[in-house]
Amino acid sequence: MKDRPITIAKIDSGIVIDHIPAGKAFLISQVLGLNALARKTGDIIAIGINFESQSLNKKDIIKVENLSLTRNMLNVVALIAPMATVTRIENGKVTEKHKVDVPDSVGDIVVCPDRFCITNHEQVPCKFVIVGKDPLTMRCHYCETEFFGPLIKYKEKN
Amino acid sequence: MNFQGRDIISMNDLTREEINYILSRVPEVQNHPNKASLCNDKVSAMLFFEPSTRTRTSFEVAMRNLGGKIGGFYDANITSVVKEESLWDTVKMHDGYGFDVIVIRHPLKGAARVAAEAADIPVINAGDGPNQHPTQTLLDLYSIRETQGRLDGISIAMVGDLANGRTVHSLTEALLKYENCRLIFISPRDLAMPRSIIDKCARASIDRGVTFVEAGRIEDHIGQVDVLYMTRIQMERLQERALAEKFRSIYRLEAGMLSDAKPNMKIMHPLPRVTEIAQDVDETPYAYYFQQARNGLLVRETLLALILGAIT
Repeated sequence: MKDRPITIAKIDSGIVIDHIPAGKAFLISQVLGLNALARKTGDIIAIGINFESQSLNKKDIIKVENLSLTRNMLNVVALIAPMATVTRIENGKVTEKHKVDVPDSVGDIVVCPDRFCITNHEQVPCKFVIVGKDPLTMRCHYCETEFFGPLIKYKEKN
Repeated sequence: MNFQGRDIISMNDLTREEINYILSRVPEVQNHPNKASLCNDKVSAMLFFEPSTRTRTSFEVAMRNLGGKIGGFYDANITSVVKEESLWDTVKMHDGYGFDVIVIRHPLKGAARVAAEAADIPVINAGDGPNQHPTQTLLDLYSIRETQGRLDGISIAMVGDLANGRTVHSLTEALLKYENCRLIFISPRDLAMPRSIIDKCARASIDRGVTFVEAGRIEDHIGQVDVLYMTRIQMERLQERALAEKFRSIYRLEAGMLSDAKPNMKIMHPLPRVTEIAQDVDETPYAYYFQQARNGLLVRETLLALILGAIT
């Protein structure tokens, strides 16, 4: 592998989300609301795209200089990057390293694709049950529509 | 089993045992010595955001037959909804007026679930757009059980617009909770049962011995079934009027087609019918759709009595 000089600096305390398929880091950042977290806390968030990877060829990586994201919150990463790993670092030491698990349900991060669903007409926070993992299939808690593949669209969050 | 205070939003929320329990309580309510005063201190809020004939009337009569009262609205255009009040707020407001139960019909899918989350009192879904209409499915199941003596092992053909008809989706999913049913889906290819429902049938074929087939002609199956469940070809769903007319002429039942029917066979229909059942069928011993509609009253009375705690 060719030596590439660009890296993301190590963090002393925070979370590293690694082994993200190339091109998915911004989407994950959006779903986790990292922009809002950065704005609120002033903490550094580094997003790296197209880093060399032995297993994925190219991969993305996210480093968050903040420990408030819980394991449960991070499980939504599995919807987009099932092979991602999370490393928790405190005071320069790795305190936890784990894979992400597809959650049983997700909250207001996805848009219901059914245009007749109440959530697309009134201010009702969306909720979905995960009814299948391969392919990833969701059912809207309100209109009961089941959908998968390109119909899964994540909400734009600033 | 206790239904007092419980929401009835979707058939997916009810187990087979709970469905059986509700249906089994119907005779008790009908023969109850104090039926006319079972709910005499109770008031139902009728929140009808879109038109309804049978559902609305039967809920009203059901409440009256149990001694209860009704309030609410049948035309959202005369309420604050025209001032863009949200569904959540409308329900919250009625929740605070001292009603004991809310019956809601709304054009959007999922509206009844939102109402149930907004209200502390129980909510009955009387139809949320093309999604669920659980009291229709319960009355269909009651009608099948009443005429056939069972729900397990039923052979049923569903005919017409299977793509858009919520009653056939909901009835199919409910029958998949029972054993060894035979389901025959008869429709033009353009209006076939959605893939997601067919997939559920395939899964149930392994778990519950369900068999199913998609077919094109009514005549080929009339002699095999216990129930012929007819539905309307929904003109408003088809872009081409000529196509709708064509489908209506093909998927039409006439008395002359019933010569091979089994003696126990019953024809059901969620109504309103248009042309899919000829009037000469009404006179045959197979016609059951008007009794079926009447059963809606019995099932809704029972459901109200259970939810309001008048019976257990």
